Amino acid sequence: MQTVNESKTKWSLRDVIFLAIIAIFFGVIFEVWSVAYYAVAATPLKPYANDLTLGVWLMAAPLAGAILQKVGSSLLGEILAAAVEMMLFSSWGAANLISGFVQGVGTELGFAATGYKNWGKLGLTFSVITTTIITFIWDLFNSGYADYKPSLMITLFIIRLISAGFFGGVLVYYIQKLVAKSGVLKH
Amino acid sequence: MFKLNPTILVAIMLGIGIETSFVRSIILNGVVVLISSVYLLTQRPNFKLIGLMILISFPLAFGTWWSFIAFGTGDTHHLALVYATRLYAYLFLGAAVTLTVSVKDLLTSLNQHAKVSNTFTYGLLAAFNLVPRVRRQVQIIRYAGALRGVTYRLWQPQIYFKAILSALHWSDDLAIAMTSHGFSEGFPRTQTVTDHLPRWQWLLPVVLVLLYLLVAIIFKPW
Repeated sequence: MQTVNESKTKWSLRDVIFLAIIAIFFGVIFEVWSVAYYAVAATPLKPYANDLTLGVWLMAAPLAGAILQKVGSSLLGEILAAAVEMMLFSSWGAANLISGFVQGVGTELGFAATGYKNWGKLGLTFSVITTTIITFIWDLFNSGYADYKPSLMITLFIIRLISAGFFGGVLVYYIQKLVAKSGVLKH
Repeated sequence: MFKLNPTILVAIMLGIGIETSFVRSIILNGVVVLISSVYLLTQRPNFKLIGLMILISFPLAFGTWWSFIAFGTGDTHHLALVYATRLYAYLFLGAAVTLTVSVKDLLTSLNQHAKVSNTFTYGLLAAFNLVPRVRRQVQIIRYAGALRGVTYRLWQPQIYFKAILSALHWSDDLAIAMTSHGFSEGFPRTQTVTDHLPRWQWLLPVVLVLLYLLVAIIFKPW
């Protein structure tokens, strides 16, 4: 089964449908597990819950990048995931689409830093770092992190880096390995 | 019934949404909620869904409010209310789009007025029709694991891998099916449905976004 076009930039119908279905799958899987988030988010520990689970929300971006290996696949994957979440299950409303865009840009920058040549460990590491920084800057304004005490801000940044590193880095790396081993993709 | 074009709604949602992220004002958040809900009410929405939406988001707003009381700096009581009401501003802005427009109408409109390509429009539409099937598939994956005494966890790669396998198969099948039904990528196609967008509606997002900006800068509302 051939899912990757020769072209690194052109989008085929199959790629678009693939990304959208992945986005729907992620939405449904996270829906099942979102109860835990709600339990913590109703307390003052909400910012911790946000940053601890952030990696889960931005996983779609590095995964789309690592599997499709195209320019813009991370950005597009994350925007689609956000759009799907918004249309189907969201309690975040409009914020979803905008933060999806920010997360996608963050991840995309990491792969771009390798010149779109490395989609493995190095590319994923870069994308974890760039997306952590970019989404954190965004949340300084959007979620008002700038108005928290500095000590909390630093703690949150570290938690976010760990979460993004695990879900968007380590986990995506192992998923990519499983997919490669199964031989369904021909690069 | 007065209806705004979906493309215009999305433009307003994104424009006001981005501004909302940077403006710390309880009054403006309230105005956004008010205008969005007035528009929602004129569209005969599903009230049960709106009620559920407000109920589900209440703990989140409460958590936000509490966290600024506990860890905020500066005028914590004001800030706590700003961020709690901002959550509702976002919620109602989004609802004004998602509860009044179907996915199909939204994609058709974006295709005709916002230059979203045919490949994306019809590809996304095809995928959205699979939502019930995706839900079933996730259950099947979990049950199949349970039969063998395996529980899939969010932090293990297996469940995602299985989801990707299904997505690969389905996207392949769908793309082939669409091509064999005459869908050609990158070619012009005849439109059977014309989505009507009066020119004046384009003024609406521009005026609203500018108005919000001016009020936020000049009056600095509470």
